[in-house]
Amino acid sequence: MSRPAAGPAFRPTKLTDVELALRDQVREFLAAELPHGTFRPGLGMNSPADPAFSRKLGERGWLGMALPARYGGGDRSAVERFIVTEELLRWGAPVAYHWVADRQSGPVINRFGTEVQKRRFLPGICAGRLGFSIGMSEPDAGSDLAAIKARAVRVDGGWRLSGTKIWTTGAHHNDWIITLCRTGDSAERHAGLSQLLVDLHADGVAVHPIPFLDGSTHFNEVVLTDVFVADDDVLGEIGQGWAQTTSELAYERGGPDRWLSTYLLVEQFLREFTGTPTGERARDLLASAVSRWWALRQLSLSVARSIDTGGAPSVESALVKEMATRFEQDVIAAVERLVDLEPSPRSASLFERLLAEAVLTGPSFTIRGGTLEILRSVTAKGLRP
Amino acid sequence: MIDYPGVDPVLLETADRLFAACCDNRQLLAAEEAGWAKDLWERAAEMGLPWISVPEDRGGSGGGLPEALAVLRVAGRHGAPIPLAETGVLAGWLLAGAGLSVDPASPLTVVPGRDGDTLRLDGGPGPDARLTGTAHRVPWARAAARIVALVGSDDGWQVVAVPTADVGVRVEPDVNLAGEPRDTVHLDGVEPAVLAPAAAGVDPDALVRRGALARVMTMAGALEAMSELTLAYAHQRRQFGRPVATFQAVQQHLVVVAQEAAVVTMAATVAATATARADERAGGGGGSSSSGRDGAFEVAAAKLLANQAAHTATRAAHQAHGAIGMTQEYPLHQLSRRLWSWRKEYGDDRYWTVRLGPLIDAAGADGLYPLIAGG
Repeated sequence: MSRPAAGPAFRPTKLTDVELALRDQVREFLAAELPHGTFRPGLGMNSPADPAFSRKLGERGWLGMALPARYGGGDRSAVERFIVTEELLRWGAPVAYHWVADRQSGPVINRFGTEVQKRRFLPGICAGRLGFSIGMSEPDAGSDLAAIKARAVRVDGGWRLSGTKIWTTGAHHNDWIITLCRTGDSAERHAGLSQLLVDLHADGVAVHPIPFLDGSTHFNEVVLTDVFVADDDVLGEIGQGWAQTTSELAYERGGPDRWLSTYLLVEQFLREFTGTPTGERARDLLASAVSRWWALRQLSLSVARSIDTGGAPSVESALVKEMATRFEQDVIAAVERLVDLEPSPRSASLFERLLAEAVLTGPSFTIRGGTLEILRSVTAKGLRP
Repeated sequence: MIDYPGVDPVLLETADRLFAACCDNRQLLAAEEAGWAKDLWERAAEMGLPWISVPEDRGGSGGGLPEALAVLRVAGRHGAPIPLAETGVLAGWLLAGAGLSVDPASPLTVVPGRDGDTLRLDGGPGPDARLTGTAHRVPWARAAARIVALVGSDDGWQVVAVPTADVGVRVEPDVNLAGEPRDTVHLDGVEPAVLAPAAAGVDPDALVRRGALARVMTMAGALEAMSELTLAYAHQRRQFGRPVATFQAVQQHLVVVAQEAAVVTMAATVAATATARADERAGGGGGSSSSGRDGAFEVAAAKLLANQAAHTATRAAHQAHGAIGMTQEYPLHQLSRRLWSWRKEYGDDRYWTVRLGPLIDAAGADGLYPLIAGG
């Protein structure tokens, strides 16, 4: 009827015995370190920032796992990092402090950084002692990232950077921000962009909180006024910022954080409603959601395995993220329809608090890390007849 | 390039060439009229395709379940109108498991076991055994040489085969939404050609599970072909001076079809691997218990996802095509009508939701994630 085309490729993969043993270790660690009922679990990567917990993960070698051992990394694989993050997220562990550094800043410094930069930053990232923020979005540049206006001009020994970054998660407690800015003029919008490593404590950096709609304060505006950035803190090549950022975004998409944000809501539903009439009515939802989680996990795992075998699954990542984040939201709507209660963020019931948090923060799932619309566009470009 | 983990690509390319040559839209419409594609069957039989996964000492072509299912996925791409799944993966599995043999020339079919079926075995499972009653929705019965069924007896489940040529057999033609034969079979005191106790663990639930696995894999192939067809059309069709594939609103449909194809292909393949592993543990050819990681969860989840995809993907594919997709002259309907039919066969959404319930209950809150993550 039609000839097979070179579309997105997802090869099924299984965990090896070594990988399964790692999973057991993480499960044992979490059961001992964060027993149910003794901590405030969060929804996926929205969980609280807890630097002490991040350091404990670092001590166990579970941060920067895929980075080289000579920089403090684990010389391990993307799949092994997948296993650790999957277990942490589904447990609701406080991962926010190290999240960005572990997921993307570390890999991007390892890929594009100088030897000096790698020695300077990667050990701290792997130890859970250095927090990073993402300096991409600006007030007038969101999905259209190439419209950024932050600009660095050449000065003696480095660059002087001015501009405003926005929606910057964790900038108030992090140490560094990898900032995309203009370093040259070009008729081509994607040219003349560069990435700079900016110390969030440097002179000229002001961090203003932007309270989230639920009152939480992980979001910030970062105003950069004539901030001096030494030549040593240029990441990669001047003028290559667009290509580097595109590659960074691939680390941001397609992982367990894109389908586990509302897992805990369902697990906690089971804890509180099993055996009740409401629990009985949940059967359709549970069967459907568990099936989809299972399949999404297999697709997502296949993306990680592909990275380990030298693939560049950027289209596959975008395809998974688009579908997975929609599913995360569908879960909230389905659970909400099921229970006859007015969720209070102050409820004594953990389920109810998680539901309140999910309803309030759910819309962000399909916006952060690339909106649905952008992801569809990225995916469609990779689908060729 | 069609690939399937662990399966020789030459086998799949050969099968693909055969189906491509015999299953264009015109040929499929002719087969719908005729009831099946006899010429395609003969060529597939020459290559031994229908009997893959049936042991050679039982008259089969040998090979494993993954090979057989990979060929079904290729057949699903083309809508091959022959009893491929029924002959080997289902009838061959039942017969070989019961120590019986297949006849390596004749198409077989299997009674799926629908509510309202009245098949019964009179005279006990011995020489006096006679089959009487009605079986509904029997795929390709009018084309099959023998109808294989699983019937209850005082001595447990029995595998029986009756020749359709027997005077006591009446086949009343019926069809599914794709015009594939789903006949009603009336049996009146028919003496089985063969009869033997089913393999341990093989019961009607196990048969539905195996049938669901076969359909899921075929649906995966149909969804992949649907994605490719829709993509090709959207890049070729121009409106407002440019290919419709360049409009964001249309791209959304293309992405949805590709996603559903990816989900179902992945689910089908993982379910197939789990089932093949359980078969090996059971000593080959046997059924598997409903506890533990024996493929029960994987097949149930995969069929539920495939059923849902049949809805989501066909809607998006038809929307992307516009009016041409609603015509008989354009091949989209060969895929969409099959997906709409197959989602109701071997377990609809309700059936698999009910089967998943106890597995989720048994897992409980602490076991929920291990269920999702396979341990």
